[in-house]
Amino acid sequence: MVLLLAFAVSAVACGGGHTQGEPGVIEIGEANQTSAFTRNFNPLLEVGDVRWPSRGAMYETLLIFNPLSGDFVPWLAESYRFSDDYMRLEFKVRHGVTWSDGQPFTARDVVFTFELLKKNAALDLRGFGQYLNKVRLVGDDVVAFDFARPFVPGLEDISIQPIVPEHIWKDVADPVSFANENPVGTGPFMEVTSFRPQAYRIERNLRYWKGPPAVKALHFRAYPANDQTILAIINDDLDWAGDFIPAVERIFVGSDPAHHRYWFPAIDATVMLFANTTVPPFGDVRVRKALSMAIDRKRVVMVAMHNYTHPADATALSDAHDRFRDPAAVAAGQSWMQYDPERAGQLLDEAGVTRGKDGWRRAPDGTPLRPALLVAVGYSDWIVATQVIVRGLRKVGIDASISTIDMNAWTEKMEKGEFVLSMGGTVASYSPYGFYKGLMSTTTVKPVGEDVPDNFHRFGLAAADPIFAKLESTADPQRQMELFHALEAMFAEHAPAIPLFPGPLWGSFTDKRFTGFPDAQNPYASLSPNIFPQTLLVLTRLVPR
Amino acid sequence: MRFLLRRFGFYLTAAWASVTLAFVIPRLMPGDPATAMFARFRGRLKPQALDSLRAALGFTHAPVWKQYFQYLSHALRGDLGVSIGYYPATVGSVIAQALVWTLFLTGLAVVFSFVLGTLLGLASAWKRGGWLDGVAPPLLTLLGAFPYFWLAMAVLFLFGFQLGWFPLRHAYDDQLTPGLNLPFLISVSQHVVLPALTVVVVTVGGWMLSMRSTVINVMAEDYVLFAHAKGLPEMRIVFHYVARNALLPNLAGFGMALGFVLSGSLLTEIIFSYPGQGYLLIRAVKSLDYPLIQGLFLTTTFSVLGANLLVDAAHVWLDPRTRG
Repeated sequence: MVLLLAFAVSAVACGGGHTQGEPGVIEIGEANQTSAFTRNFNPLLEVGDVRWPSRGAMYETLLIFNPLSGDFVPWLAESYRFSDDYMRLEFKVRHGVTWSDGQPFTARDVVFTFELLKKNAALDLRGFGQYLNKVRLVGDDVVAFDFARPFVPGLEDISIQPIVPEHIWKDVADPVSFANENPVGTGPFMEVTSFRPQAYRIERNLRYWKGPPAVKALHFRAYPANDQTILAIINDDLDWAGDFIPAVERIFVGSDPAHHRYWFPAIDATVMLFANTTVPPFGDVRVRKALSMAIDRKRVVMVAMHNYTHPADATALSDAHDRFRDPAAVAAGQSWMQYDPERAGQLLDEAGVTRGKDGWRRAPDGTPLRPALLVAVGYSDWIVATQVIVRGLRKVGIDASISTIDMNAWTEKMEKGEFVLSMGGTVASYSPYGFYKGLMSTTTVKPVGEDVPDNFHRFGLAAADPIFAKLESTADPQRQMELFHALEAMFAEHAPAIPLFPGPLWGSFTDKRFTGFPDAQNPYASLSPNIFPQTLLVLTRLVPR
Repeated sequence: MRFLLRRFGFYLTAAWASVTLAFVIPRLMPGDPATAMFARFRGRLKPQALDSLRAALGFTHAPVWKQYFQYLSHALRGDLGVSIGYYPATVGSVIAQALVWTLFLTGLAVVFSFVLGTLLGLASAWKRGGWLDGVAPPLLTLLGAFPYFWLAMAVLFLFGFQLGWFPLRHAYDDQLTPGLNLPFLISVSQHVVLPALTVVVVTVGGWMLSMRSTVINVMAEDYVLFAHAKGLPEMRIVFHYVARNALLPNLAGFGMALGFVLSGSLLTEIIFSYPGQGYLLIRAVKSLDYPLIQGLFLTTTFSVLGANLLVDAAHVWLDPRTRG
């Protein structure tokens, strides 16, 4: 870190290494750190080594979700509606959209795309197979999605599926390994005019249905490591990036206060302390609440997160879900979300976790309690957080220790439930439905030893299950709000996991060459270039100076 | 001939062992590739995606012995499978892209270091007690004793960053198209200087010392004395009588060093962001990219074995005693 700062500061001092790009061509940071790019523009394969524009600029979706307002912006679809029984979702497809090879875009392409996913399970990353019966054409321009059961949350997944052209993809033998080197899409930037292992360039689409974009082309460079990316951000080699920057005010804004801007809203998934509820005494809600009271969250946020975020509340919702937050639930859980070591000690005593002669607490059955708090090597921010947490736990008499392990080993232990305490992330979902489901639905609980990607702590609340079911069969905002509030109240009562802080979503830009980026005053999208497809909202608004 | 056949049998066994180890070692690491990929997306992927991921990556729960035989038969056909980190690129294509740069960088550095070290060793032994013999061995030993990563970072910081004489990263300028044109070749040579230099600096001392000691031994031989007595010119004695014989042990070491070219470049490539095999290996290990790790292990072990086979053959040719 010190070395990095030295690099950064002297870089600013001598302004070295900066290469001024061509006017109108924007430099964007790919989240994928690599030393050499492979030419792959397959938008259906989001987990592969696929280049950024595939989902960021070339292929479009029916709607675009704005994580800040919670609104769906109509895109390839002009409108959508549910049937009264929520068994069918219909999209009216936009007229006048053409593929970049001049062919018209039609509702048939939408049907084709979803049939393609059905045939290739490897591409079905959102689990459409679990609730989608049939996708069919109604008239000329309406696509109907027939559900096997009412499933309102399907809207967010269906609406952000990139649509591919039937006339090209029907001849693709294996769409999973298809590299799509010369892509044909509906997006604002389409033609790959140069592609080299260390850099590539995509030209604007003059046929774009919203009119040709003001930005002439996108340009990407390979940055093999974090410090190289940060150096490039400070040097204005990158116009738009989504990386964590330490001490951002001094290092980044300070190096050019007139042009350097950042926006780190706390709208990413909430970071938790997970306690394995299958390991006594952590199945006891009083113990979990006591752990929570032993944590000085203000300090965690300051030391580990540079104050880029703020302590979570008892609903555990991130700022992206502010509109769903119920003040009553926040108040109900206020007591166990506040730093109060004294009360934590009392609560542990009540739960039978009392101090032994040596001063350390024991489980109710008398066995020594020495929980290890797991964290992955390399997550330096989380490691600092665990230090603050462990200090707090030891203060109330729990002989906790930090166990830093390899990231892959950590993931495996989390998913198999083979841990006592662990730092962990949650699912960044559009609505609190997916978020809470992984935290307290009995359907996500599996025995220790079996993989679960979200319910690490093995907590299921039978009373929550009917609420999830009801949320799947109503799109009425009023009704949804009541149900979300009910889930929040349950979380605040049962403390399935211990919320620490909502994760910030990194985004920074320099307005030296381009204007029109989103910010807190104009939140038409988030500033992160790593959230698809909302990057389309940004790319179609940017204007060169 | 029998010697060569016996050696060949040995190499076959060694090759099988390395192929098997390449299969076993990645599987002893914790986690599986799909989980690793899932974790990389930190909450951006739906839980349902995990199963799709496993399907996409061709990850099976088949018994290990079945996977092993499948892997063996594929490896025999030269098919190393599909990389996970660079999905869906094949391991062969990913390695090929990086192999060129590693061969170029480390090959250049090793050959240069060998030639320079050998000449220095010869010169310093010939004029034993001269100024070169007084300065070079301690200085080069000192440089060789520095931790490599520290030396490399210091060099990068000083010459690349502070003075700006050399580029900071990559194998050539981003703006150029690879090909046989002058700007590209110039850019490649500019980029290779610093990484190659650091490798030469830390390795040249070893070559020099070993050459120096064998030269001193050879110089005491009777045939050298005889050559002097015959009144042969000094240069002829140095190169035709001394150097030729003293080179034998160093040549064996050179063969080994050539074999290790592929694996020895790890730190260099990471510090200088050089797009070679070492950088690939680190990334592959981080993402539990089994097929790619296997492929990299195999190219490394086979190059070591291949180089040794060549050295063995060269020995048979150079040294009549091994022909027995």
